[in-house]
Amino acid sequence: MVEDTFLADDLLRQLMSVGEVDLLVGISSHNAASTISHAVHAIEQSFQQHFVRQRVVIVNVGSGDKSEDGVVATGFGNFVEKNVRLPRITSLRTIHRVTANFSGPPSPGIALRTILAAADLLRARACAVVSPATSNLTPDSIANLLRPVYREKFDFVAPLYTRHKYQGLLARNLLYPMSRAVFGCGIRELYSDEWGFSGRLAALCLNQDVWHEEAIRARPEAWMAISAISSDFRCCEAFLGEKSQAVKGPGTDIVEVLRQTVGTLFWCLETQQSLWLDCERSQPLPTFGPAHELTSEPTDLDRHRIFEMFRSGVTELEPILSSILDPETHSEIKSIVSLEEGKFRFKSDIWVRTLYDFAASYHHAVINRDHILQALTPLYRGMTFSFLVEHSDSSQAEMEAASEMLCVEFELQKPYLRERWKAKVEVKS
Amino acid sequence: MRQTILQGLEQVYSNLVHMIAEFLPRFLVMLIIIVIGFLVAFGLKYILRALLGFTKLDRVSEEAGASRVLRMAHLPSMTELLSRSIFWVTWLGFILVGLSVLGVAGLQEQISRLFRFLPEVFVAILILFLGVVIANFLSRTALLAAVNAGHPSAKILSWSIRFAIWILAISMTLEELGLARQTVISAFSIIFGASMLGLAIAFGLGGQDLARKFLERYLGDTKKEKDKEPQPL
Repeated sequence: MVEDTFLADDLLRQLMSVGEVDLLVGISSHNAASTISHAVHAIEQSFQQHFVRQRVVIVNVGSGDKSEDGVVATGFGNFVEKNVRLPRITSLRTIHRVTANFSGPPSPGIALRTILAAADLLRARACAVVSPATSNLTPDSIANLLRPVYREKFDFVAPLYTRHKYQGLLARNLLYPMSRAVFGCGIRELYSDEWGFSGRLAALCLNQDVWHEEAIRARPEAWMAISAISSDFRCCEAFLGEKSQAVKGPGTDIVEVLRQTVGTLFWCLETQQSLWLDCERSQPLPTFGPAHELTSEPTDLDRHRIFEMFRSGVTELEPILSSILDPETHSEIKSIVSLEEGKFRFKSDIWVRTLYDFAASYHHAVINRDHILQALTPLYRGMTFSFLVEHSDSSQAEMEAASEMLCVEFELQKPYLRERWKAKVEVKS
Repeated sequence: MRQTILQGLEQVYSNLVHMIAEFLPRFLVMLIIIVIGFLVAFGLKYILRALLGFTKLDRVSEEAGASRVLRMAHLPSMTELLSRSIFWVTWLGFILVGLSVLGVAGLQEQISRLFRFLPEVFVAILILFLGVVIANFLSRTALLAAVNAGHPSAKILSWSIRFAIWILAISMTLEELGLARQTVISAFSIIFGASMLGLAIAFGLGGQDLARKFLERYLGDTKKEKDKEPQPL
């Protein structure tokens, strides 16, 4: 059950007045003054068009500063007048709205925990989390997240998007293949702004003692997906349309993104090791709607700068990398660094071993863990450069084939990860 | 004449016997104290080793970078180092107490001076060790941040931070030991002041371009710079 001290009295009062619901959509409105009204409008339309007979609620988590969140200034101002029927409504039920205000800006972890607590108290059957920052949020995309849970009894719905072929390379080359190989269930968008889940999964996650962890406070979404996989909950993917690009925030800073996303993945490896160390399975996920699509408009990427940052990074960080990487892997990386830009390729086997070395070093804490994550940045840049060169003219089918081969490489080398994971810390001077 | 010599020898012999009779029990007490000290120190070493093993100090030490410093200095792990230190400190204390039992003139004064000086030595060693650990951690943090941001001269920045903290730690250590206090303070002030002045002049005169780029990067349009890399997520 939810701790007595966790939810504010005002929020509890609002939730009690709502009663039980079928569907719940949560949004975190902090720093989203310009887009919050659009998000709320899309959610309401989704309820009106797709879930006419269901009992529904929107839970908004924001900071207490209303001017900052735009709660009053925008269409969300109606939130204070709870349980009001909207004009032009086609839904047979009242669309309830609940606001959870925090004195300071809530972290993503706190926002999710509040939404899960609300879902648990309201006994919601299907829930979704959406981001007001997503400019192209549509009623259909929200319905696509809720429908598999509500109608098909799935427990976790990950999104699929139409993307530019050079967008989301961290997900494509690291997060997806590594999590698929390790946990045996591939979710392409482990880190996304939107996802769906069941009330069952909400209760399970809510009752776990992880909410004080830095990894969960910063990026809880991957942990929730991995919790669903590890607890044998039914997972699927649903197509949501085009992925909107983050303009500002941690999504644009590679170092910060690596620290948060790879940090959480490694943390999950650490906390769920009893599950994956003996796991050999690898099962595909059911998909609702079309598979993810790639576009290839011209881009303004500075490949030369990416390569130079890789090269200088590996050279300058040599003492740090030597304490993280296996000597053989390190010498292979040093040998490819000396290649000319035109001939450089980061082969998938070296990339996989590099990541497994990083994961094992994170586990053994050979140096400060945050430093381990930061030291991955130049290597990720090397992989990115190699990918950009290799796939400059590739079609979607060719890129998918390459992605599948990388996943297979991760699965083939999983025994190497196990070996390094279980090995004692090697003393290096 | 002969009688006087015999009396003298007899007196010397009786003094010697008296001294040995007085010294031997004290020597035996000293040996007993040293043996007991050895056993107590040995016991403390094992108790501390078990306690530190239980608290996973080595793991914390690895994460903080202290273990790496120890390895570079060819020293054992943190747990081993601390348990060995407690052994030697305890035994040394017992040895000194044992020696004081002998009642050798002048030795007691030296021993009590040594006892008074010991805490300062330990604090000095601790300061030096913490200085090396902090210098290691901060210089690595600076190196990673500078390399990942694409700054030129990342290593110089990292080494400058390491060097500055080392100087500070060494100065504090010597200050704690009370060695050439005035000289150390003056030397530190001169080195630190000269380094800062040197950096300011070098940055102002020699690094105009670097300063411009630096300011442009942080005060200018950062979006354009970031767009040159693909979105990771």
